[in-house]
Amino acid sequence: MRPILLSGHERALTQIKFNRDGDLLFSVAKDQHVCAWFSHNGERLGTYKGHQGAIWTVDVTPDSSMIASGSADNTIRLWEVKTGRLLKTWEFPTAVKRVEFNEEGTQLLGVTEKRMGHLGSIVVLNINPDINGEQSDEKELTIVCDESKATVAGWSYMNKYIIAGHEDGSVSQYDAKTGEQLENLPIHDLNMQLTDLQWSNDRTYFITASKDKTAKLVAARDLEVLKTYPSDTPLNSATMTPKKDFVILGGGQAAMDVTTTAARQGKFEARFYHKIFEDEIGRVRGHFGPLNTVAADPTGKSYASGGEDGYVRVHHFDKGFFDFSYEVERERQRAMQQ
Amino acid sequence: MSNKARDWADDDDLEETTTELPPPQTIQNKDGTKTTITYRYDEDGKKVKTTRRIRMVTHREVVNPRVAERKVLPKFGLSEKDPKGPQMDTTSVGENIIFRLSPNWKRDAKDESKDANANAMKEKLKDKTVKCRICNGEHFTARCPYKDTMAPVGAEGSADPAAGMPDDEVAAAGPGGAGAGKKGSYVPPALRGGPGGAAAGERMGGSKYGERDDLATLRVTNVSEMAEENELRDMFERFGRVTRVFLAKDRDTGMAKGFAFISFADRTDAVKACNKMDGYGFKHLILRVEFAKKAAT
Repeated sequence: MRPILLSGHERALTQIKFNRDGDLLFSVAKDQHVCAWFSHNGERLGTYKGHQGAIWTVDVTPDSSMIASGSADNTIRLWEVKTGRLLKTWEFPTAVKRVEFNEEGTQLLGVTEKRMGHLGSIVVLNINPDINGEQSDEKELTIVCDESKATVAGWSYMNKYIIAGHEDGSVSQYDAKTGEQLENLPIHDLNMQLTDLQWSNDRTYFITASKDKTAKLVAARDLEVLKTYPSDTPLNSATMTPKKDFVILGGGQAAMDVTTTAARQGKFEARFYHKIFEDEIGRVRGHFGPLNTVAADPTGKSYASGGEDGYVRVHHFDKGFFDFSYEVERERQRAMQQ
Repeated sequence: MSNKARDWADDDDLEETTTELPPPQTIQNKDGTKTTITYRYDEDGKKVKTTRRIRMVTHREVVNPRVAERKVLPKFGLSEKDPKGPQMDTTSVGENIIFRLSPNWKRDAKDESKDANANAMKEKLKDKTVKCRICNGEHFTARCPYKDTMAPVGAEGSADPAAGMPDDEVAAAGPGGAGAGKKGSYVPPALRGGPGGAAAGERMGGSKYGERDDLATLRVTNVSEMAEENELRDMFERFGRVTRVFLAKDRDTGMAKGFAFISFADRTDAVKACNKMDGYGFKHLILRVEFAKKAAT
């Protein structure tokens, strides 16, 4: 497996996202532009320029026409994918740590930071799917997180709930229409913040990554923990691979402690776990710093990881990856064929 | 300079830099690769010749129309002026990563790291015991309670370096260690350590590769040039734990040269594999499998 190295950023990566067709890859870092890449050969399609601060998050609409990015310059910006044109800027009182489009791409949620006397909040914005149309300034909904600030959030199936992960290790379920909090459960250890939340294909369950060194698979309907993946290092990101029942975890020692350890001990590897059996089944080395973000291609052909070292590494799986299965899985397949 | 006779020490670079660059050349090689030779001047005004050897592989892929439409989009932003195709400054290809999934990955990884180093070390120290040089007790010299008050046991004897080795040791070395009696003279590795000299010599190579058992290594010949190490590993892993797969590859083209070595952890597995895989059809060729080193038995 030969990874493709993308070196379009000068600073640590913060998030990467594939589009629905898996041909484009969007990356954001603490420098001030968003990059769009072709995932199959690593060619850079372009950059989106305009942010005045570190960019924390990016998301793409399901039809790959627009992307949204949230930044430390207190704005969410909406861009046209094809040309890099800025469509809209929304201003907020504090930095935006997370954005996510809903399943249809008609609404966008943003998570704002708790700072300067402002509480952390989750805002929902209406998106006009017409690329040349006017985008409204109005916030459809604002959820204020007064107990512990939200660090990550996302839309569940049918846009029924908004699920948020908090700094104190808990996960909340909000009604996406009214913003009312329905549930709040301590999924991870107390005061170990959630660092990532990514959805399954049908958005009925999601995977969380936390500083408490575990990743968990949680059902969106009742926040029941389905699976737990323990590791030996604080995790920054977790994703699920389509086609194969695996999860990929990325993490490593906190960036500030990195210079005091050797690369081998830093545990800067992407870890593969079997989604159902919860076993660790392999690791991929390569980054010189902790992995800040991992993303799996929705077509299942590849995955990408972005590290503190400023590189994105795109890995196209080879045949051995697809052939791998447990003995029980092979038995079941044989039984199905007969 | 022109009316003076040319001296061999004269710098004649000046004239060369004014000449035209030779045109780029493209040569079609027999093995399907192309060699292109281009010339250019670098920042110091020096002529640089670049020789690239390229293999073109056409890879066809069917994508949905939305993806195809996006593939021809014009570039924008910082990439606006980039020509088509991946650019050297933003995109590069990393080194190959061996990525193998296994249900007991953790155990395997531990085995490999521990077995190679820790076991070799353990083996070496098996018949060594800790002995103090001062009081002959069972502890390290540095930990000896008499460290400050007593001199080491052999201190008086070793005061005279010309005394040489005690007689009994020379006798033990026997005929093989003829030169060992005299201190400081060179002894070829084969003769070191007396009658067991050959064994000591072998260990030199062994230290690098751990305790690899050459007896469990198979030589596979008549391998297709399209073969990959992974495929070979998959084929042979059916018979037992494979510790090493080496597939000889051409340095330029990256194609297999047609032979490979497979080391097993266990010799019985290797025997099984040898019997089963000899004559096996793999990628339009029939494999020939034999032991790399013929067993003495």
